[in-house]
Amino acid sequence: MSKRNLVKPLSYGALLVVLFLVPAFIAQPYVLHILIMAGLNIILASSLRFIATSGQISLGHGGMVSVGAFTSALLVMRLGLSFWAALPLAGLTTMILAFLVGYPFVRLKGIYFAMVTLFLAEFIRLTAEQWKSLTGGVAGIIAIPRPNPLIIPGLLNADFTSKVDFYYLSLVMVVVTLLILYAIESSRIGMTFFSIQQSEFLAESIGIDSARFRVLAFSIGCFFAGMAGAFYSHYFTAMNPSSFGFLLGINVFIYMVVGGMLRFYGPIIGAFILTVTPELARELKEFEPFVFAGILLLIILFMPEGLISLPHRLRKIIRESFSHA
Amino acid sequence: MLEISGLTKYFGGLAAVNELDFDVRRGEMVGLIGPNGAGKTTVFNLITGFLRPAKGSVVFNGRDVTGQKPHFIAKMGIVRTFQATSIFSNFSVLENIIAACYLQSNLNLGKAILHTPGSRKREEHIVNRALEIIHFVGLDAIKDQPARSLPHGYKRILGIAVSMAPDPQLLLLDEPLSGMSAEEVKRAVTLVRRIWERGTTILLIEHNMRAAMNLCQRIIVLEMGRKIAEGSPEEVRANREVIQAYLGAGKHVT
Repeated sequence: MSKRNLVKPLSYGALLVVLFLVPAFIAQPYVLHILIMAGLNIILASSLRFIATSGQISLGHGGMVSVGAFTSALLVMRLGLSFWAALPLAGLTTMILAFLVGYPFVRLKGIYFAMVTLFLAEFIRLTAEQWKSLTGGVAGIIAIPRPNPLIIPGLLNADFTSKVDFYYLSLVMVVVTLLILYAIESSRIGMTFFSIQQSEFLAESIGIDSARFRVLAFSIGCFFAGMAGAFYSHYFTAMNPSSFGFLLGINVFIYMVVGGMLRFYGPIIGAFILTVTPELARELKEFEPFVFAGILLLIILFMPEGLISLPHRLRKIIRESFSHA
Repeated sequence: MLEISGLTKYFGGLAAVNELDFDVRRGEMVGLIGPNGAGKTTVFNLITGFLRPAKGSVVFNGRDVTGQKPHFIAKMGIVRTFQATSIFSNFSVLENIIAACYLQSNLNLGKAILHTPGSRKREEHIVNRALEIIHFVGLDAIKDQPARSLPHGYKRILGIAVSMAPDPQLLLLDEPLSGMSAEEVKRAVTLVRRIWERGTTILLIEHNMRAAMNLCQRIIVLEMGRKIAEGSPEEVRANREVIQAYLGAGKHVT
């Protein structure tokens, strides 16, 4: 392996080590909480972009989070399953739902698909509110148990009574999610998604069943939204039908667009920055939707490729200002 | 190989294609010509499933494929090009062909994630196949360039290369020569002929009469969605109705 090929894996490794050591230096639960939320938002924004690589924008990701959260909470509380079984099952249930609604949905293009996903999120909320025997209605579910302790003697002792354990769980989930999404995106399947995004007609004419691949992208993306939802419910230990949904779906969309959709790391940057910075200005918290909408508009108007295009733009500005000197 | 019978399509009460019958035999190169708005591209759309006919049937290799989805038609062995976009402009030239080798690729989610040795071997095979096609059409020198940056003539050549990748039995080319310079036309005509010589049957829409007459053994002339003439280039050229359709039905023409 040449020197250059080593730079990337090494810098990712270094970043992972830093993230791994964070709790050792910053033990404040508040900071860890922000990082946990950033991690979950990264999972959501990246999986939303994954869906978008096949040419469809979902505004209903929040609804999928809700499905995962309810599924996991109910599996643990009603059926007595371990959290560790409920977590992937919540993802799977969400994925199956996405698959079932996917086939009729993906026939709709562009803004129409975005609209029905938004309606779906509302439909999920309303159903959850009415289905009192299962979901507890508007009041929701409380006293959701924390994840079962993971104890491997001498190696691992996670009982999830502190934020540190949740931090590590979210870190593992983020890393695994990103690895899987990246592996698919850079495979021939990812290439097929991009072909459909660029020209559905051309893709069909060379034999690609575009509906099938769109449903596949949508289902996989929703799988990770469901997993994130399962994490949420056992982390917050309480939820109701409005905990996730419309607003979360819109926010995740904003993270993705602000970070930039063209690159894999765009939503990661967007989700991280837009989760962490609002905490620096907590007095403005109640105006958050306005501020986010404003940021979204500014980005769309002045930086359509998102924050990830910033270094390139700065370099260009510097180069130009020197060439005029 | 391809049998079209009674094919009819209305656009808002107007028959864009009207009771059209024709055949394409294996190994032929057939031209579909006619004035603008004669319904040529509509015929392509009906054959390849982008439009559903109101009446009539499309039979390919003895199998009725009328109204099937486009990707199914491609799988059966009919691939078409488009007048405007026949390339994936965000991909490089090589990526365009690799993506277009979809039908040969047998994609599988598990293998795609895990990169099993089997899938890697198949991948290698696909890349080699793509390189062969690129070499065949003569785009080797620019294989890593983004498709969107290519000059118009190269884009059209790439579009044809993309349509070759699924290895069709029947290739439908929609105005492959439009917008090309004289030099580019010459190269493209040679390419189309070489594809045909490799054994691909071709049905071709073209406005460049000289090129169409030159390439095809048989020409079908459409006007207002109807077939008004069919035959060898010489027969078609001498046909009175064809001359009228192209020059207008002035009294002095007769």
